[in-house]
Amino acid sequence: MTTTAAAPPRTAAPSSAAPRKLGTFAITFSLFGPVVYCLVQYFNWPLLTYWPATGRLVFGYDGGRSGEGPNMLWYGWILTAILIVTGLSLLATMLPARVTRKIPLALIWILPILMIPYIVYSLMPWWIMAAK
Amino acid sequence: MAGLISTNTFWTLWLLVHLMLAVGLLGALTHQAMAVALPARRAAGGIVSRFRAVPAAGYASAVCVLWLLTFIVGSYIYTKYRVQIRIPLEAAHYYKTGGFFDFKEHVAAMGLLLLPAYWYFWKNAQNADYDNARKGVTLVLAAMCWFMFIVGHVLNNARGFAS
Repeated sequence: MTTTAAAPPRTAAPSSAAPRKLGTFAITFSLFGPVVYCLVQYFNWPLLTYWPATGRLVFGYDGGRSGEGPNMLWYGWILTAILIVTGLSLLATMLPARVTRKIPLALIWILPILMIPYIVYSLMPWWIMAAK
Repeated sequence: MAGLISTNTFWTLWLLVHLMLAVGLLGALTHQAMAVALPARRAAGGIVSRFRAVPAAGYASAVCVLWLLTFIVGSYIYTKYRVQIRIPLEAAHYYKTGGFFDFKEHVAAMGLLLLPAYWYFWKNAQNADYDNARKGVTLVLAAMCWFMFIVGHVLNNARGFAS
């Protein structure tokens, strides 16, 4: 008996508006997601800043304060990125199908790989301290 | 939880939950990645063939849920890591370990943002237009998951919550 693990019957892309818009939203979200996240991190645009030692949560960026321990920006970066990408994806759903069909799907997995050198670069203070 | 278990035990239990979710995610994603990268032509055979011969589409929702849960629990314990683990790590000059953990946090965020397309591609597994993208996203997510798992494991060996 021969079987193929991941080869269900083939069909065409969805033609009705609702599934097509869902697809456009999901694809645009993931296409821009990693790039927007890296940009948000580069420009340091956290939606909120959290101090784990005191439990203090502040809207937007707030630098270090004496006696409050370290601040955390990661949550804020993710929230900002999700907000921006959701907006972009909603806009993309308003575009005509002939435009959205032209989105190169391969970019969805290529862009996160291309972001890796930037991430390594953004962590340079760690590597410099390790090299000392 | 005060009085029942110590603070260290509390956080270690959460870390264990994070680990168990990560193990489930790693298993599901590895099965799926093997199934798309090296699809088995015959279901029967050796252990490797059987490992590859899983119905890959059936893993997609589980992967999304597990990634989300692992991410949420990881985000929760991250608050304690920042104070209780990272500061002593820096004091002990474990800079590469700290750097790789920050690397892991960025990879986790990017993986989270890839999930909508991943889910959509697998929801439409019968659509040949998405074959290459589906394969690419699945392999990238699997590689991310392995990277994060190894970094988390090494970090816990360097300094766990009970250290």
